[in-house]
Amino acid sequence: MRILVVEDEPTLAAQLAEGVREAGYAVDVAHNGLDAHFMGDTEPFDAVVLDLGLPQMDGITVLKKWRAAGRTMPVLILTARDNWHEKVAGIDAGADDYLTKPFHMEELLARLRALIRRAGGHASAELVCGPVTLDTRNNRVTVEGRALTLTSHEYRVLAYLMHHAGEVVSRSDLVEHIYAQDFDRDSNTVEVFIGRLRKKLPPGLIETVRGMGYRLANPQ
Amino acid sequence: MTLATLRGSLRFRLLLGTLFWIAATILVAGWGLGNMFRQHVELQFHAELKTHLDQLTAQLTLDGQGQPTLVMPLSDPRLNKPFAGLYWQIDGLASPGLPAIPALMRSRSLWDQVLRVPADTPASGEVHQHRITGPQGEMLGMAERSVRIDALPLRLIVAADEGLMIEPVARFNKELWLALGVLGLGLALAALVQVFVGLAPLRKLRAALGRVHRGEAQRMEGTFPAEIMPLVEEFNTVLARNAEVVERARTQAGNLAHALKTPLSVLANAAGGKDDALARLVTAHVEMARRQVDYHLARAQAAAAVRLPGARTPLEPVVDGLVRTMRRIHAGRNLELVAQPMPASLAFRGDAQDLQEMLGNLLDNASKWASRRVEIDAGIEQDRLVIRVDDDGKGIAAEQREAMLRRGVRADQQVPGSGLGLAIVDDLARMYGGQVVLANSPLGGLRATLILPAAQ
Repeated sequence: MRILVVEDEPTLAAQLAEGVREAGYAVDVAHNGLDAHFMGDTEPFDAVVLDLGLPQMDGITVLKKWRAAGRTMPVLILTARDNWHEKVAGIDAGADDYLTKPFHMEELLARLRALIRRAGGHASAELVCGPVTLDTRNNRVTVEGRALTLTSHEYRVLAYLMHHAGEVVSRSDLVEHIYAQDFDRDSNTVEVFIGRLRKKLPPGLIETVRGMGYRLANPQ
Repeated sequence: MTLATLRGSLRFRLLLGTLFWIAATILVAGWGLGNMFRQHVELQFHAELKTHLDQLTAQLTLDGQGQPTLVMPLSDPRLNKPFAGLYWQIDGLASPGLPAIPALMRSRSLWDQVLRVPADTPASGEVHQHRITGPQGEMLGMAERSVRIDALPLRLIVAADEGLMIEPVARFNKELWLALGVLGLGLALAALVQVFVGLAPLRKLRAALGRVHRGEAQRMEGTFPAEIMPLVEEFNTVLARNAEVVERARTQAGNLAHALKTPLSVLANAAGGKDDALARLVTAHVEMARRQVDYHLARAQAAAAVRLPGARTPLEPVVDGLVRTMRRIHAGRNLELVAQPMPASLAFRGDAQDLQEMLGNLLDNASKWASRRVEIDAGIEQDRLVIRVDDDGKGIAAEQREAMLRRGVRADQQVPGSGLGLAIVDDLARMYGGQVVLANSPLGGLRATLILPAAQ
């Protein structure tokens, strides 16, 4: 899962990025409206945290441009102006939720999880695929009740596959959703993560669809 | 209407002034015209007497016995009809060897009467005028002159009833005053019409101001006469400047919020997750600061808006926007948000953002507490806009409701969001002269009733 954080205040942007990264997501940061618009328009993000008061292009405009271009990723608006006028304007521009500053990081993460879950059509915070359960609230993965220890990259790969259980996920899809933009990407490492996951998970759970990518078998 | 308010009425003052001048002009004109006519008739009367006297003089001669006689009788038929009002008489004047003989000759109209004339002997060629009492007690105008025919001194007298002169003057005066009366009445009516027509723009002005006051218009609409138009334009400028000031105050409040809250966020995040004394202190005070900022911002914005006349906000679009927003925000909770159909004419006499703020907080609060359903219903009751928000949650105990409307009290610290919600709503509503009433809902939870001034 890859998240775009848009915030112009450097300290807050760093705190947000750190908090979101600690929650198991890949994070990209934009500091102004123009960069934010470009990144959201060209990279496949699973969710966006968008501050409204941005230099160069305000958040509402950025959001409207994304929606007009057909970008449907869930967007959580972050605003200092705690009035309903702005909230309604934000929601009407295409936002999915809002949070007013100052906020608690836990609340932001909870909202973010809910948005990603809803976007994938999942009703529960726990994703289940056969014997494997992934709790998005605390990043815990269990196999038949037994806790599994995963590295952050392994977790991201598994989480993305579980959010898209039953679908074929291409290798490049995986690369784009588990790494931030500035990361040195190497699609071969995806195979390494898949290999490690296969050793930790019940055999046959991750199928290879030749020439296309991977798929989680036995979806519920 | 009392005398004092009458005296203060522009219409009354204009009418009074005009009517006074109309009356004065007509009186002076009537008096002047009457006088002129009477003088004219008098002159004519005396000219006629003189003509008769000249005729009498011309016809006078002496007969064979040396007695005066007329060559031809005078032509006016009134002279032959007894007491017809026109008379002549010839007196013999006293001279050496002759006594004065009154009424040596006289017109038939005098019958057996003699005109009693004052003793007076006009010099030759002079004509004297007198007023005397006639044969029937009436006043006569009289002209006389002295002539001497063959050394016989005679006095020639012609007299006429003054009634002949007074009667046409009286008739003329009667008709004159009738005509002037009609003229005065017409002028008064015209003045009345003029005052009403002339002051009509003032009524229009009042109507336009009324629309601004009732919130039906943001500025004074319509064209007015050149004398009033500058006033209207000035007033509209003031209204526009007011709106501008409010907008600027809003923007500044928003900027202040942004400037304050971003650092607060940084502080809160830095302290979050740590469990030492400093972190707890920072967290607690960041929360307190946030509430203070929210509370005073909301108040400042509302205070600015309440002073802005002419604000009118239709209710339906605001409700629609908020319901859309609530559905999105609470999308994960499977809530049923139902806005009962409401007439499009329902409107709030106040600012749109304030209505959004009040209704948004009520709806958000209801949505947080509801288990499945939130209903919104609105209508006009006793000329006020009444909006009810019902939820099917746990509700609030009656003794806690008062406290909920006070600043910063939360019924349950676990529910995320501002504890100021209901208090801000009540504060805002009170600034507009309205209020929030909390009660049990037929749905089982809380019913929050928002009462606000309605706009036509």
